[in-house]
This record gives sequence, structure tokens and C-alpha cells, in this order.
Amino acid sequence: MARFIGKRLAIMLITLVAASFLVFAVSEFTPGSVARKTLGPYANQEQVDILSQRLRSNDPLLIRYTRWLGIILGLEADPLQDKSLGLGFTDPRGARYFGNLGYSTLYKLPVNDVIWDRLSATGLLAGLSFALIVPLSLVVGVASGVRIGSKLDRGLSATSIVLTSIPEFASGVFLTAFFVVLLGWLPGTSPLSTTGGWSVASQMVLPVAVLVLYDFGYVARMIRASVAEVVRRPYVRTATLKGLSRRKVIMRHVLRNAMIAPFTVLLLQVNFLLSGVVVTELVFAYPGFGRMLLEASLFGDISVIEAATLVTLTIAILCQLIGDLGYMVLNPRIRIS
Amino acid sequence: MPKYPHSYIPRLMGLFSAGKVDRREFLRTSTLLGLSATAAYAFAGQIAGEKLIPDAEAADLPKGGTFRLGMHCQEIKNPHTADFTEKTNITRQVVEYLTWTGPDNVTRPYLLEKWEASEDLKTWTLHVRKGVKWHDGRAFTADDVIWNLKRVSDPANGSSVLGLFTGYLVKKTDTGEKDAKGMPKMKAALWSDNAIEKVDDYTVRLNCFTPQLAVPEHLYHYPMQILDPKENGVFTVGSNGTGPFELVAYTVGKSATLKARKDYWGTGPYLDTIEVTEIGDSAGTVIAALASKQIDGVHQADQNTINAVKAFPHVEVYKVASALTGVVRGKMTEKPFNDKRVRQAMRLAMDREKVIAAGIAGNGILGEDTHVAPVQPEYAKMAPQTRDLVKAKALLAEAGYPNGFDCEIVTRPEPAWELNSVQAMAEQLKEIGVRVAIKSLPSTQYWEGWDKVPFGFTGWAHRPLAIMTLSLAYKTGGSWNESSYSNADFDAILTQAEGTYDVEKRRLLMAKIEAIMQDDGPILQPFWANSSTVMSKRVKGFKMHPSYYLHLQEIGIEKA
Repeated sequence: MARFIGKRLAIMLITLVAASFLVFAVSEFTPGSVARKTLGPYANQEQVDILSQRLRSNDPLLIRYTRWLGIILGLEADPLQDKSLGLGFTDPRGARYFGNLGYSTLYKLPVNDVIWDRLSATGLLAGLSFALIVPLSLVVGVASGVRIGSKLDRGLSATSIVLTSIPEFASGVFLTAFFVVLLGWLPGTSPLSTTGGWSVASQMVLPVAVLVLYDFGYVARMIRASVAEVVRRPYVRTATLKGLSRRKVIMRHVLRNAMIAPFTVLLLQVNFLLSGVVVTELVFAYPGFGRMLLEASLFGDISVIEAATLVTLTIAILCQLIGDLGYMVLNPRIRIS
Repeated sequence: MPKYPHSYIPRLMGLFSAGKVDRREFLRTSTLLGLSATAAYAFAGQIAGEKLIPDAEAADLPKGGTFRLGMHCQEIKNPHTADFTEKTNITRQVVEYLTWTGPDNVTRPYLLEKWEASEDLKTWTLHVRKGVKWHDGRAFTADDVIWNLKRVSDPANGSSVLGLFTGYLVKKTDTGEKDAKGMPKMKAALWSDNAIEKVDDYTVRLNCFTPQLAVPEHLYHYPMQILDPKENGVFTVGSNGTGPFELVAYTVGKSATLKARKDYWGTGPYLDTIEVTEIGDSAGTVIAALASKQIDGVHQADQNTINAVKAFPHVEVYKVASALTGVVRGKMTEKPFNDKRVRQAMRLAMDREKVIAAGIAGNGILGEDTHVAPVQPEYAKMAPQTRDLVKAKALLAEAGYPNGFDCEIVTRPEPAWELNSVQAMAEQLKEIGVRVAIKSLPSTQYWEGWDKVPFGFTGWAHRPLAIMTLSLAYKTGGSWNESSYSNADFDAILTQAEGTYDVEKRRLLMAKIEAIMQDDGPILQPFWANSSTVMSKRVKGFKMHPSYYLHLQEIGIEKA
């Protein structure tokens, strides 16, 4: 078991290095140098050239990538923080420390001062949504899966297909029009500050609703299919025939076996909820991770993009690891093989 | 006879009395030449029988309370290099300018008490306002002014004010070196050590090498904020300033909090607190935030937003005519745009009313391809440009493009009116065989190359004087000469206009300039857009500024 996890973590490290290198290489093709972005559009070329030279931006790609790795590992000082450049870029943690993600040219702040707040804001949004998506999709999925073709199944299936097909920006606007403009029950934007006179809790309602409506139908459909397959299995018939109550059959025999496939799907939703929520964040002006990543990408802020890549990849790989472990718990056959 | 700050003022008064210059023009030019706005308005009132600006208005404003503004909270570390109005709308409340161009396009002294221009408009004497104190208690003096003026004149600091100063305070000289492309490397610097001169503790003199009329306007260019020299150009929470508010909290991308100063030297502020909340780029968020009364206003709202919120009973719409516009331009160095007939043909292909309807939802007036707006004092009325497809096609054929040509125009999706206008114009150009492919780049990428692409659409902000835009954008070697336009006649007449304070003579010169723009000029400019925004009806005393500048010491807010 320990070996398995160790192996997985090693693969994770390799994936992180490979992916960060890819992002580094691809960003070569976006216009604008780090020096130009640092100094802004009105700085003259002379200044930009001098800064580029001092940042050694003209070195070959591989050397610059290694330097970037060195900065993260704390082996090298971040050149942008060099006081003699006169940029006023300072990090209270110092220029050289383990986990130094560099300086954002867009926000003109250390990346470590930008992304964690944003990540926790999105974490809140994602966590609340996930906490609703799981039980909701389970109930709907099981209820329709155990009696495929029944009126209840058709009704639930139709509802979840319709909800999943409405894109987030559309449902965001519909819900806002109804609950904000027409009824005035909820705030229309979610900047997570209370200066607007609305509690943070009230600001969470609409974004969470949009994500849950969009996502739960899809997961419910997965669970439904899986449950439908399991209820046809001989051991379920046996359980029913030996006189177990329907409730016990579903809870003990159907659910556990039917969850094996949807379990992965559920974990994949964590990834979606962290980096795929950008539309919802835009619609509600939610100060989250997705919007930050979008702004940074449009600007070409390589430090923030790299940091966000590392963070989302780590979360994705950890989710996968948890998925594999969960698989083992749910399915003894995998453990044995 | 009273003594006037400039010898032309009595004649100007005569012209105004005789009805030869209009009221706006009188106010503009007399204040430019150093007459105080109060005196100018008083004279205008005498002649035209209008009341003075009501000073009493301010006394009725509610006191205290919090104004909640929805606006981008971008990084604001370096006000002198600010490139967005939003950035200066935060810093503007803390640090101030030497002059102030009001919503009426009249420039008044602000941190200056007054100014005087010499007969030849080459020497400008700036009298620093006495009794102004920095927030930390230090007196505001000429040294502060000089430090700031010199700082923006140094290319190392990357301020866009440099572009405005170039040509009368700053000179570009050839360093003798060549850059990577073989172009000569130019170095910009103040033309003389004496260009910015300290006369005494409260007097600064600008010694220019050519006459310049727009000095007071340049001093209100948005990055020209007067910072405390001790802070070395860096602005942050708690930064020192002479302004009515203090920045007490700031989170980039999220929010800002400003608190009123008790000891402000000027009138106001009436508010206690300003809370700025980042509400993002999506047009829907402004509507939603206003609907749920999370904000009391925004600094800018386009017609589509106005249409959506004007039904809200608690919202007021503000509009003012401006020189805000967008231009289509080709590089003069690139085929086919180097041929004047092609440019003329493209201008003739325009159905401008339709572009106004599709691009800015009708919120504007016809443009005449001159980049001189009716709200600007130098404006000379030109014959309207009318659509003539037959003539346009004939011109194209004459230029060697009987079947038209293909080209790619670079634009951006935000603000929406820019892309909408480009789409409308592209459709119309298709009718003369000019097939335009639209390349819409994200804003940040767009700004990387806006002045370098062969063919592009550029939004131009309002400026109080047309000569400011013209010398930045169309003079040979101008800092923002995106079309690489170079016309010796144009340059000569423009330089002459920049040094002419006689309104009638200047208008004659401007008529010539506008004619050159229409005949030979590099741009296709379909409209002038109004500047507009929306605020809660609780907000009192707000005046829409054509440049979207917020002077929040002027407003008050009623209790909810």
C-alpha cells in the first residue's frame, strides 16, 4: 500500500515538472516579454531592453525553465525582486525561499499573496456545491435507476437532462432576473464583501445554485445508469427473494456496487469545480481562482499561470489517488489483483 | 482698465460680446490664458444674461455616509504610469492635480492658485496654491511640483505625460546608435536644464522651446498626479497626498476603502467613506449589483447597460457629449493603406448612422473623420461625409483595386461597442469590395500591438482639446502615431495652431487641418460617443465627466 502511494506521488512529481515545462514552452508563443508586462505599455523600448537583459530573458528556454524551478525550490533569488531594478517588487517572505512562486506582473504582487485567497474563495464555492451535488445526485440517480422507465424515472431524467443542458451563464442570468431583479430576495453579485448590505451567506446562494443545477444532473445520470445495471444482477434478485426489505436491498447490495463507476465521476467534479467555475465566477463577479486564472492568461502573467497549473494539477492528481484508494475499498477484486 | 493675466483677454471679451465666439469658447480660452473660472463665468453671465454657477448647491449636499462604487480594483502602484482611468479614479481621491478640467471642458486651477502665459505662449508661470497641506502636515510647495514634473519627463519612469510634453518641454535626440531593426535610437529628455524652473517657493516657471496653448490641460492628463516626493513615485495604502480622502485598505482585484480627511484644504468632502468593489468585466454584473443595491453607482456604463437599468426606479442615468471615439486606421507604410484614394474610398463607403445604431446603440453623434469633436473649442464645422458607393468603387479602381482587396483588422471584444462598431463597418466596406476579416484579441494582447498592426481599430478617450489628440496621434513621430501618418503641411499648421491663442485665427487653422484629415488623413472615424454612467438616486451632486473621472469630494449621499 505504502509502495503504491509512494509510486503515485513520484508520478505526480514527474507530471508536475512535465506540465509546468509545457506551460512554460507554450507561453513563449504569446506576445509580450516579462519586461514589457512589468513596465507597462508606455515604457519606452530602451527601458524594456535594459530590464530584459538584467532579467536574462534572452537566455535559452531550458535555462530559464531551470532558473524558474530554482526559484520555486528556494535555490535562487527571484530576479524581479532585485532592488537595483527599482521596480519596488518586494515579498515579505524574502526573495529566496522554498515555495517562491514568483512575482505577478499583472497584480504586481507576490503570487503567494494572490492565489491562496482566491483558491480558498473558490474552495468555499466548490465545497458547498459539492456538498449539495453528492446527496442530490445520489437520491435522484438511485430513485430513477431502481425503476427504469417508471414515471418517476422519466420525470427525474427529463429534469436532469434539461438542467444539465442549460449553460451556467444562461442559468445565472435566469436566476438573477428572477430572484434579484423581480423578487429582490438575493444579491446579484457575490464579491464576498458585506459593504453592499448583504451577508456573505446570501451571496453564496446563486453561484452555488447555478453550479449545482448545472452539474448534479450529469452525475445523477451516471449513477442512474450504474444503478440500473446493478439492479438487474442475480445477487440483487437473490437478496430480494430471500426476503430482505427493499430499503435493505438498495442500501446494502445495490448502492455499494453501483457506486464504483460513479465514484470516479464524482471525484472528477472536484477538478471541474476548481478550475471550471470561471463562467459562474464571471457572472457573479465572484473573486475566485477561475477568474484569476482567466485574467492572468489573457494578460500572459506567466508566474500566476504556472502557479495555478501546479495547484490544479496537484489537486487533480490527489483526487485521482483518492479515487484509486476508494476503488480499492469499494471493489475487493482490485485489491487482490 | 483692469489688469488681465494675458493681453489677449480683453480682445476675447470683445469678440464674445460681439457674438463672434460662443460662450464655451470664451470660457475655455480665457481660463486657459489665466483668467479665473469665476471671473470668466461672471463675465459670460454679464454678457449673456446667465446666472453664475450656483455655489450654493454644495451646501445642500447630505453629509456623512458611505458611497459604494462598483469598479475594477487594478494594481495602482505607480500613478505616473497609470494606463486606465479606473486606476486614477482610486488614486485621484488621495492625490491631486495642478489643474482640473471640469465636466464643462473648462480648465481651472486646482493645486495651482493661477497661471499666466507669456505673449508668445512659450513661458508659463505656475503659482502654487498657498495653504495646501500634505496629509502628514507638511506644506505643499514649488519643490513638490518640480519633482513631479521632472519625474514624468524622465523616460526611465515610463509616464505617458512624456508624450504630451514632447515637442515643447521634452526633446527627442538621436543617440547615434541603431536598434536591432536598424532604426536610430532616440533619447527623450527635457530640452534645457532650465525647462522647469523654480522662481520661489510658490512659483514655478515652464520655459518651452515652442509655443504651447494646452499646458493647463496637459497638467490634468490622468497620470499627472502630484505625489509626495518622499514616496518616490510609489503609491500604496496610507500614501501621503493633498487630496480629500485617504486610502485605508486595498486588495487588488477585490476592493478598496477610502476615508475622508478632516483637514482637507478645499471644499468637501461630504462623504465619510468610499467603498469600491470589484465587479468584474461582465456587463450583467453591473445590472445585477445595481438591482440588489449592492453598489450606488459605476464610473462608466454603456447604452446597453443603461437600457437594462433605466427601468429601475432608484437609478439615475447621466450622459455628457464627449470626444470619445473609435477610429479605423491603416498603417501609412503598408499597402493598400498608403494610397490616399483607398482611404477616401473607405470613408465614402460608410453609412454612419447605421454604425452609430449598431456600434453604440445610438448614444452618440456623427463623426467627420477629422478627430476634432464638436465639444472641443477649436472645432470648425465641416461638410458632413455622405455615403457614395459609386465614387468609392471608382476610387478603388483608380488606385489599382478594381475588385477590392482582403485585409485583417485587429480589434478587441471589450468594451463591446468597439467590436460592434467594427462589425458594422466591415459589413459596409464589403459593399465596395473591401473584405475585412476581424481579428478580435483579448485586451492585454491587443495593447501589445495596437500601434504596430497594419490595420486596426482603436478607441480614443476624450480629451478637452483637439490639438492634444492630433499631436499625439497624427503628427510625424507623435508618441501614439499608430498609423505612422506623416504630412508636412499638417505638422506645420498644427504647430502653428498649438501656439495660436486668437480663437478666430486658430479656427481658420483648424479648418485647414480638418480638411487635410478628410482628404488625406489616415482615419475612418464614424462617430463621437457620449460618455455615460448610472448612479443611485441617493447620490447627490454628481456631474458626469466626459473622461469618466470621479471627483468624489463633490458628491454626497442620502441616507437609505
